[in-house]
Amino acid sequence: MIEVKNLKKVYAGVIVVNVPQIEIRKGESVGLIGNNGAGKTTLFRMLLDLIRPESGEALINGENVARGEKWKDTSAAYLDEGFLIDYLTPEEYFYFIGGLHNQSRAHVDDFLAGYGEFFNGEILKKGKYIRDLSKGNQCKVGVAACLLQSPELLMLDEPFANIDPSTQIRLKNLLKDLNKTKGMTTIVSSHDLSHVTEVCDRILLMEKGKIIKDIVTSASTLKELEAYFSAGIIAETEAE
Amino acid sequence: MTITFIQHELKSFWRSKGTGKTIAVRIVMGVLILIMLLYVFALGFFLDKILEEVAPTENLVHIFSGIILYYYLFDLLMRFQLQELPTLKVQPYLHLPIKKNTIIRYLSFVSLQSFFNLWPFILFLPFIFKVVKPDSGGLVATAFILSIIGFMVLNNYLSLYIKRRSNLNGWISVGFAAFLVSLLAADYGWHIISFKNLSFLFFGHLQTMPWLFLLPVLLATAMYYINFLYLKQNLYLEDLGSQKKEAYKTSTEIPVLNYFGKVGDLVGNEIKLILRNKRSRSALVICVIMMFYGLMFYIPSINPKMANFQAGKVFCGMFMTGIFIISYGQHMYGWQGSHFDGILVSKVNFRDFLRAKFLLFTTISTVAFLLTIPYVHFGWHAVFINFVMYLWNIGVNTLVVLFFANRNYKRIDLSKGAAFNWEGVGATQLLIGFPLMITPFIIYAPLSFFHHADMALIIIGITGVLFVFTRSYWIKKLEADFQEKRYTIAEGFRNK
Repeated sequence: MIEVKNLKKVYAGVIVVNVPQIEIRKGESVGLIGNNGAGKTTLFRMLLDLIRPESGEALINGENVARGEKWKDTSAAYLDEGFLIDYLTPEEYFYFIGGLHNQSRAHVDDFLAGYGEFFNGEILKKGKYIRDLSKGNQCKVGVAACLLQSPELLMLDEPFANIDPSTQIRLKNLLKDLNKTKGMTTIVSSHDLSHVTEVCDRILLMEKGKIIKDIVTSASTLKELEAYFSAGIIAETEAE
Repeated sequence: MTITFIQHELKSFWRSKGTGKTIAVRIVMGVLILIMLLYVFALGFFLDKILEEVAPTENLVHIFSGIILYYYLFDLLMRFQLQELPTLKVQPYLHLPIKKNTIIRYLSFVSLQSFFNLWPFILFLPFIFKVVKPDSGGLVATAFILSIIGFMVLNNYLSLYIKRRSNLNGWISVGFAAFLVSLLAADYGWHIISFKNLSFLFFGHLQTMPWLFLLPVLLATAMYYINFLYLKQNLYLEDLGSQKKEAYKTSTEIPVLNYFGKVGDLVGNEIKLILRNKRSRSALVICVIMMFYGLMFYIPSINPKMANFQAGKVFCGMFMTGIFIISYGQHMYGWQGSHFDGILVSKVNFRDFLRAKFLLFTTISTVAFLLTIPYVHFGWHAVFINFVMYLWNIGVNTLVVLFFANRNYKRIDLSKGAAFNWEGVGATQLLIGFPLMITPFIIYAPLSFFHHADMALIIIGITGVLFVFTRSYWIKKLEADFQEKRYTIAEGFRNK
């Protein structure tokens, strides 16, 4: 599904991302973790062709993201509020995104009807523009807009950060369910270790732009990660 | 504490995005502002000569005394429209252990830094020193100056007070504007009251009773305290901010656009962008005001020299049908800067994106052209000029604007007002003016010099049509150009 080759990004002489090789197969659910400045968002942006890598390439379904646009048909992403058209009402935004995928309004309405619980009555028919919603509710709009496109590949950058506990639980179930039933490939970054270990089968741990650990989630993973983050220095020397 | 505040204020000025521009842009802007100030200063400096010209028989100080109150009335109207509330500046201090009174004093002080508080000095001080002082002595001149400052401060806090009140109740602002307008109507239209007499009553008597200056000073002080007390009771972010109480926002759609499919959807979104945001809305308002620009050229009594000035009419035809392309287009795609990442990642085909821009420009230009048809009153030739320039606008100028849009890396904060807002203005915006305004005259000037002006217009029109028909070719070129620059554009928009 995703293949990364020698991907490197440099800002002001500092290497912020340096990933020699990584492959993510179809149907995998991957968690991306790492402290602030580890390069998670930069990696996402390179995967989505939003910034130009210094060298190397990212392939989605075998297509170099910087060269073609076919990958946009099958992938959806929500990194931050910059992905939302904030002067539209949520309904208008959903219709717009649906329209891009040739979905009728009735189809979009049907889809949204299934997300009543996820929205918790705070999104639809509230008479607000997206810019007037809270950060958490904006995140719900962004995630729902992604799922509306029924993507094969979904990327979310810290989706749990601003949403309430109920929505966190619902989102986790949603992601697990879509991964199991529809084989949707997901990449989710988070600072909450228990969330990632719960949702993801595979964890990529980033530090200073490098992926220093690539582990299959098991019962002991959470403990292992907690140990790493409470004493990051030890792990660093190990990695070298 | 106040000193710390002032230091912060200075830092916020020097470190703001607006001041941190490239040297060249700053110099050009500095020069523009300086020229504007010089004009006002010249007006103030020669006010005595001007008044002499207008009314040679009357006493200078008398006329001067008669006009001051008019100035302040217009000042109040303008302030009410344009002066920004300095509010969010206090947000970082509200939760700190700082006395409310100190914060409010700071807020009141900050509100004094406004262009509006500079004009009275530049306009009136030269006259006072040149005429009033030699005429009536230093004491009276001082009284004049203090009165002028008094009225200025009064206006400053009055307009802020009304603006703050109207944040909580929108009707107050409507009522106040209606009140000011009816005051002016009562003077000019119905002759019930006369501000000239009122103004003279005060400033005329100031010459014999200088202590009258206490009146405006007392009024100003009173207004300061009213404002102060109001702020003290309402020092909450929701009351301070310039956001009005929000009404229910409905989803709307423009059915005609469905005909254009995905491109139509994009245009629909952009029309919503324009209508739902303060700054882009003002581009539309300018468009409407521009409709009347032609009157300056076509009505002989307004400007006799212009009546036979063909080039001026061509210029104005371009503005009337294409001002939207110029004023809105020059900031493209910065209007969408806040969600540009979303557009890039989404399934929006960039060719559709460009087609939508062309469709938007063509639609609005067409509407503008249709609105200028009443100029037929000044002869069919006027409509002919406007039509030719309309073709030029949708053919060539749209292309020029989009060519520069690929080179514009500055985002626009849609929520801010347009007046005195330099955000998003950079070298691109300064450069774009030249090709837009000069190119039609490269065709027009030589031919009209040899008395073939109509031939020139026909060539301009045909050129426009040619570019419209070759649009798909240009769209391909623009797309290829964009693909090369997209990272830089997206990166620029990410910098808030």
